[in-house]
Amino acid sequence: MAGSNEVNLSESKRVVPLNTWILISNFKLAYNLLRRPDGTFNRHLAEFLDRKVPANANPVEGVFSFDVIIDRSTSLLSRIYRPATGEEALPSIMELEKPVTGDIVPVILFFHGGSFAHSSANSAIYDTLCRRLVGICKAVVVSVNYRRAPENPYPCAYDDGWAALKWVNSRPWLKSEEDSKVHIYMVGDSSGGNIVHNVALKAVESGIEVLGNILLNPMFGGQERTESEKRLDGKYFVTIQDRDWYWRAFLPEGEDRDHAACNPFGPNGKSLVGMKFPKSLVVVAGLDLVQDWQLAYVEGLKKAGQEVKHLYLDKATIGFYLLPNNDHFYTVMDEISNFVSSNYVEDDKFGEIGNGDKCKNWLVLKALIGGWSFGWY
Amino acid sequence: MDELLAVLGYNVRSSDMVDVAQKLEQLEMVMGNAQEDGISHLSSGTVHYNPSDLSGWVQSMLTELNPPSSAFASSSQQTPIDDPLLAPSESSTITTLDFSGSRQQSEHQSRIYNDNSDYDLSAIPGVAVYRRPDQQGDGEKSSKRMKTASSSSSSSTQQVQENGLASVAESTRPVVVVDSQETGVRLVHTLMACADAVQQDNMKLADALVKHIGLLAASQAGAMRKVATYFAEALARRIYRIYPQDSLESSYSDILQMHFYEACPYLKFAHFTANQAILEAFAGANRVHVIDFGLKQGMQWPALMQALALRPGGPPSFRLTGIGPPQPDNTDALQQVGWKLAQLAETIGVEFEFRGFVANSLADLEPSMLQIRPPEVEAVAVNSVLELHRLLARPGAIEKVLSSIKAMKPKIVTVVEQEASHNGPVFLDRFTEALHYYSNLFDSLEGCGVSPPSSQDLMMSEIYLGRQICNVVACEGAERVERHETLSQWRSRMGSAGFDPVHLGSNAFKQASMLLALFAGGDGYRVEENNGCLMLGWHTRPLIATSAWQLNSNFNPTSTSASTSAHSQ
Repeated sequence: MAGSNEVNLSESKRVVPLNTWILISNFKLAYNLLRRPDGTFNRHLAEFLDRKVPANANPVEGVFSFDVIIDRSTSLLSRIYRPATGEEALPSIMELEKPVTGDIVPVILFFHGGSFAHSSANSAIYDTLCRRLVGICKAVVVSVNYRRAPENPYPCAYDDGWAALKWVNSRPWLKSEEDSKVHIYMVGDSSGGNIVHNVALKAVESGIEVLGNILLNPMFGGQERTESEKRLDGKYFVTIQDRDWYWRAFLPEGEDRDHAACNPFGPNGKSLVGMKFPKSLVVVAGLDLVQDWQLAYVEGLKKAGQEVKHLYLDKATIGFYLLPNNDHFYTVMDEISNFVSSNYVEDDKFGEIGNGDKCKNWLVLKALIGGWSFGWY
Repeated sequence: MDELLAVLGYNVRSSDMVDVAQKLEQLEMVMGNAQEDGISHLSSGTVHYNPSDLSGWVQSMLTELNPPSSAFASSSQQTPIDDPLLAPSESSTITTLDFSGSRQQSEHQSRIYNDNSDYDLSAIPGVAVYRRPDQQGDGEKSSKRMKTASSSSSSSTQQVQENGLASVAESTRPVVVVDSQETGVRLVHTLMACADAVQQDNMKLADALVKHIGLLAASQAGAMRKVATYFAEALARRIYRIYPQDSLESSYSDILQMHFYEACPYLKFAHFTANQAILEAFAGANRVHVIDFGLKQGMQWPALMQALALRPGGPPSFRLTGIGPPQPDNTDALQQVGWKLAQLAETIGVEFEFRGFVANSLADLEPSMLQIRPPEVEAVAVNSVLELHRLLARPGAIEKVLSSIKAMKPKIVTVVEQEASHNGPVFLDRFTEALHYYSNLFDSLEGCGVSPPSSQDLMMSEIYLGRQICNVVACEGAERVERHETLSQWRSRMGSAGFDPVHLGSNAFKQASMLLALFAGGDGYRVEENNGCLMLGWHTRPLIATSAWQLNSNFNPTSTSASTSAHSQ
């Protein structure tokens, strides 16, 4: 047992930069402490260990943020990130909810990851990621501090996501000038990706338009043990056992992993045929053990006639998008930027992308052209 | 420092990266091999400190799972943790809660009783840190002290890091918008415009705006109306130069503070976290002396005395020196409080001594007046809850007081301050900061929840806060005493004055979090850990911060190293 652990440790160390390895290993070990075998969660220790950052109405690298209470009864809070316009050095209270300027201003509704149990909108890792998204997409980002399992299992996270979507959709100050509508995209990683899908379902039913879904390493699963789960179990920071724990914590009592929330295209899934479901960008990390379920999700969307772009990153592990120190990071940020911008060109003939010199080329090109609008494809 | 990790809240020196990675690997292997109770004890029994110091955190977990006799022990741990059974026990906890029915209760194996005395005490007799003097060494105490020691030995680098962070953090403006209604926004707009006019010395415009605010506020509801009213009044005073008299009896302000204490958890959090640090610092001491820089009604001390009384091996003898302002009617308010505490001490069997000192300002104190006994004889704690910022109104005062504190040779100094930047040079900035701060504070008072505060507590709390607002906005110079500064600013100041941080750990964090569950709007209150300090806030906005300090070992002549000073009794 110890021997195979050693093999696993050195394998994961070979595929990610050292600081990424340290970051994700730290999470892995800390999280092991927090999950109790009886299904309860050491929330106090989790909150103690989580590194949080305050909102900051002073712009830092062109982005400022502030928190808003969306629903007092559930203490639902969201952190709003906006680009600093440069007119005011320090936005005052009035500037915070000043109307956005621009024909089209994308508004990204962001759901952080953490397998439904960990992290918050004000976790440092997600605050940093959201700030990046503002610059990359020239968007306003709204990061939802949804209620977490096991204290608040299904459907709390979805309810909170839905409340946030309605709130965003009804903010006069988020309307694009072109059509006086809020241009909404939903982005989420891990459990956040799962929430994106489920909130989109609600949106379609209720007639709120979502322009696109972006799912980064989305958290899906099922009763069956897939080939990727068996092959990659324990090898790259994640185990089948911990995935099972989080599903048990989130899903209603007595339900198994074929519940529609976990397995949207499984035996209990809902058919999306004929639905005006938003177009999707699904990013799958090649070393993520749940990739078979993520690929099944993509297939499910395709079979239902829905527009989906699938980005498969060969050697990426979970969390690759948390630090800008690898090729995959830049590839994905680029994709997201294209997806959200209005001149997005559809290309559904996707497969693997070679990542080799992409980072270097990208940096050179950015330096030369100084912009994000250059498309790769 | 690895910059990428630093942005994410982890301080790891670039030169330590490989070492940290190795330790993580070791830890994983050890955790994989440990039995389930090993893991669960790491989770529920061990006290964790300062997670930003990743290297230290991983190391302390390795040490908990592997007594140094094994091959995995790090060379920095010298004192053997001799009894693994004792290692996981929690430090003595003090709180004012009723845990009946809670899961945590069984974990603590504690009994709880409700004390319906005036001080509303409910103490939880936890497993105390103190051990019988006849037992050799104190394994778990030393493991806890080790944590402090190792954090203070790396404190010089941490100090640098913290100071570096301080300059960045000072320009952070955390904002939680509690009211997005159009009327609320217009109200804020007008308040800001008025403050701006005052700053530009355009009193005619300011006057017109102040009147307008009154009208707008009247049509507003809830917290925003109250806040706006207080700020408008303060602005009016500034415009018309009708300065508030600070000579209002201190007994009245004490009463106001008592209602504030009842209405919301901020002061309870302050007392609780400070007491926790003091209790841990007093471990092993037979005689202890607390110097309270602002005794008021002495509400902090019953809980500490209770916890000391329940220490296995018996309580130390407890001396309290309470400092307070002069009373206009010449009554000895301090002695009255001292007398009440003495009565309590008698009922719980704690040897008690009290001394009151009247002083207009803490800067008037001379350590020699306080009859401090040497550290080998009596452990000293200096406690300051919302007192130090007042000293910033007079040049030289804070330096004098910090110097006096050092002369008292305290084992621990506990400092609680408002987490706000209300002492900047520009009036408009102060005004804006205060508006945000008090908006959040008032919003938390409204709170919906199981047991909202009584209307009298609420009203008096609002008056209490209103007086602070008035002082921040309408006063200047020596009169402006509500000069709140942020934790990072206090860190800088304490560090420069020769103090090292003593970290508050996950046990204090957990107990403080549980304390909040009892309060109305419990969901909105949040405890946050910040580089070894604890902060309580409303939603994501910290509003009050507790930090603990010890003398830098260079300044402490009775010890040769930081770890020795922990064992000085």
